[in-house]
Amino acid sequence: MRQIAMLLCAGVAGLCFWTACGPGGDAQAPQLFPLSPPPRSYWPTRDWQISAPETEGIDPAALKKLSDYLFTRSGDEQNRAGIRTDAVVLIRNGKLVYEQYARDFNASSRHNSWSVAKSFVNALAGRAQLQGRIDIDQPAWRYYPPLNTPGKREIKLRHLLNMSSGLSFQEEYEFAPLKSTVVAMLYTSGHHDMARFTGEQEMRATPGEYVYYSSGDTNVVMAALHSGLNDQQYASLPWDELFNPLGIQAVWETDQVGTFIGSSYLYMTARDYAKFGFLYLNDGVWEGKRLLPEGWVDFSRTPAPGYATTRPYDELENAVYGAQFHLLVGYPPTGIPSKYPDAPEDAFMAKGHWGQVVAIIPSLDIVLVRLGDDRDGNFDLNQMMRLLKEAVRR
Amino acid sequence: METFKKISLTLLSITALLVALWIGANWRHLSAFPSILPSFYAKEYCSCYFVMERSEAACHDFARQWLKIDSFELDKDGRRVIVQGMGRQAVARYSGERTGCRLE
Repeated sequence: MRQIAMLLCAGVAGLCFWTACGPGGDAQAPQLFPLSPPPRSYWPTRDWQISAPETEGIDPAALKKLSDYLFTRSGDEQNRAGIRTDAVVLIRNGKLVYEQYARDFNASSRHNSWSVAKSFVNALAGRAQLQGRIDIDQPAWRYYPPLNTPGKREIKLRHLLNMSSGLSFQEEYEFAPLKSTVVAMLYTSGHHDMARFTGEQEMRATPGEYVYYSSGDTNVVMAALHSGLNDQQYASLPWDELFNPLGIQAVWETDQVGTFIGSSYLYMTARDYAKFGFLYLNDGVWEGKRLLPEGWVDFSRTPAPGYATTRPYDELENAVYGAQFHLLVGYPPTGIPSKYPDAPEDAFMAKGHWGQVVAIIPSLDIVLVRLGDDRDGNFDLNQMMRLLKEAVRR
Repeated sequence: METFKKISLTLLSITALLVALWIGANWRHLSAFPSILPSFYAKEYCSCYFVMERSEAACHDFARQWLKIDSFELDKDGRRVIVQGMGRQAVARYSGERTGCRLE
């Protein structure tokens, strides 16, 4: 019975999706808050220095409200109900001022993060761009030849990073598994070679003109990063270019052809996720050395240009997307409201299914990592960001 | 009565035809559908147990879905998870320190 209900849901969701349409816009996109990271007294490559919240301008009483919100359980392991936070790490002024764990997780537990991985793909693309291995304004087929087919030759790496490839995809998990492209990619017909599976989807829009959050787009980028490398070099790429320089211990799973599953399967500790956030908070500079190209972080946190020409559809209001990062602003030119009106507007985040968040807030010099396993939608990210904002005194 | 029978039969035929057409049009999705259950369970349990190093009970709670699986085997020596459900079998295998688990 449940299965039939899900089949019906899948059909209805498909119908709703394709009947949506609407106008473009010509008003101004939101302005970026300028990045101006202060000079750092140390880098957390080995580990984070610890400081008291009040020393770093955080009010302990207000911080407790945030902690209570995140760690008060209403359900149990059987019903998987309510807010289920596993780990929180708060970095202020480059110091670790608060961390807490639950459900048998601790500071050395590796935690899954689902789509947080996408932002790491952004970083690897940035590394490759800096080294001249790729140019994101070149057609993607030059780095990923299966896209060298009619209609797909115009897709640039930039479009894929902005979730604007135009390749058909349906990013649905629990409620519409039948026609979900992402479920097929991860678990059934596409799991052998996820990039190829994505590349074989039909085109539904001109590249760059239609934004649709697609795990497939990310996996094509991850496959394109193989270009110019042998298999051995590719297999150590994330460690050579990113994890080792940042001092991160990670697990990144691959599909059967050895392509890292850039959309979904990355594991590390909460403290290590915070290091990644700190790289972006510092405009791509680490240990005084530029790891990401000048302007790359701004590109990452600017709404995808395709929003200007994207006709409205149901999931469009989930969150405005930059380049493999979620933004906390709306998109006024086409009337998309902010989903997080109480959050600092300049925040941007790596964000994954079931409540994974690495939030970077330049205006407050904060990185907040929150990991969990929320199954019922009770976790309210806007509320978390509001409580965090209210805890900052200076 | 005869008219009623005729109308009923026509409606039934049309419905059957529509259902058949829908199944035909969606065959690719429908044929893959039953694999989702064991594949998801095997892959997510494997990563939960071998990568996140959670307890067996915690990993069952992590991987279970609404539909029940038929059989489950955690092969600790072979570092594999084998799951059967909806008439399909899925195997996820731990492939190494850096690359964790993979669905076969």
